[in-house]
Amino acid sequence: MIVTPWIFARLAAIAILGVLLQLSFFSRVELLHTSADVLPALVVSLGLLGGSLTGAVSGFAIGFLVDCLLVAPLGASSLVLLSTGYLAGIFRERFEIHSALVPPLLCMGLTLFAEAGFGLVQLMLGVDAPVSPLVLRDLLLKSVYAFFLGWPIYLILRRALRPALVEEPRVTRRRQPTVLGA
Amino acid sequence: MYRKQVRRRRAVLTLLIIGSFLLLTVTYGQSSGGLQRGVSTIFSPLQDVADRALKPARDAISWFDETFDARGENGHLKTQLEQAREQAVAGQEALQENAQLRKLVELDRGPALAASAYEPVTARVIARSPTVWQSAITVDAGSGDGVRVDDPVISGDGLVGRVASVEGGSAQVTLITDHASAISAKVVPSGVQGVIRPDVGNPEVLILDFIDSSRGVGVEQAVVTSGWRAQGLASLFPPGLPVGEVTHASIVEQKASEQVELRPFADLANLDIVQVLTGGSRG
Repeated sequence: MIVTPWIFARLAAIAILGVLLQLSFFSRVELLHTSADVLPALVVSLGLLGGSLTGAVSGFAIGFLVDCLLVAPLGASSLVLLSTGYLAGIFRERFEIHSALVPPLLCMGLTLFAEAGFGLVQLMLGVDAPVSPLVLRDLLLKSVYAFFLGWPIYLILRRALRPALVEEPRVTRRRQPTVLGA
Repeated sequence: MYRKQVRRRRAVLTLLIIGSFLLLTVTYGQSSGGLQRGVSTIFSPLQDVADRALKPARDAISWFDETFDARGENGHLKTQLEQAREQAVAGQEALQENAQLRKLVELDRGPALAASAYEPVTARVIARSPTVWQSAITVDAGSGDGVRVDDPVISGDGLVGRVASVEGGSAQVTLITDHASAISAKVVPSGVQGVIRPDVGNPEVLILDFIDSSRGVGVEQAVVTSGWRAQGLASLFPPGLPVGEVTHASIVEQKASEQVELRPFADLANLDIVQVLTGGSRG
């Protein structure tokens, strides 16, 4: 990704909009007693489009903003989301995205990773109350929601950041002219 | 060239990880810093606008979810209604209990708040934390409205939580389902005392812990804040605020683990309007 000041401003606007939407909308809407968490999917999409560095930096920034707005211990969300963005970026740098299913599947897998990672960080910081097994249901449902939300998020971000994306040349198969009967 | 890029990438990643750990080390266990307060103050008007703009969409999705839930709950509620009718007819005691619960629900006019110096400030919920590990909401009333840290927060149904940090026009509220929450409470009318703790990951269940196992607690009994005061120290919550009702209280479990399960009265998943009880004295 070629990050010009204009693209940087777009990235910042995407991060702020994503965080506001998460806190004001997605966190407050429950389906099957679980709300969706779109922030890991947002970071995964940025990592897939911009590479590991963009993924890690945007993950750190988005996590930092969330922790600031929720007055949570600073650094916890940053650590988890920067790892998520970095992994998504590494995937993009090492493998080619052949199928349209890759972004949503990656959003699902890495949301699972992010939610588990966030739980792990919280447990390491100390949880004073018993933990219900329903945490697992929450974790799995959030991943399923990320699968369905991941694809539109990826498409919207690809459109928003198109001027900055390094387009890989498309490999098109040329048809050999055929002669009837040959 | 490629190696230089890889080296730069690794350096940035290492820097970010170290930064995260540094932030965690410096800020963990402390109250909100100036930076967090500043960011929160800048973003609270934006959150307020986003909350109002997105309310119709939220309501539409909630309607689908509630309809889905309502079908499952219908049979269960019918059974409950029959039981409640039988109990109401059965004796005067149940009627008295019912009247007590009704009084408790009328929070603002009830004795729990009328006798205290608390001034309720009505606020709208503008944000909510995305994970089950932190149960917190942001409300659009802050220090400018007289809100202070540790003020109790209630909804029309009962206790919701307490204020964790305050800015000029907004405040963060730690819900009673947050892992750091602990509330001294008692069962009415039996008077059994205990500490309410959350069951992390299951916002529909609270645990009343450390109860006196020799005195039985029954299902559907209400639990209210005990509001103790001793040697210059006082509970953060005034006495008599309804918290929940006992949903699971087997004798064996009470004897073995000295705890029972509650369902919070307040619908913590769908909070929209809450009241912050400001101005109370806390010893």
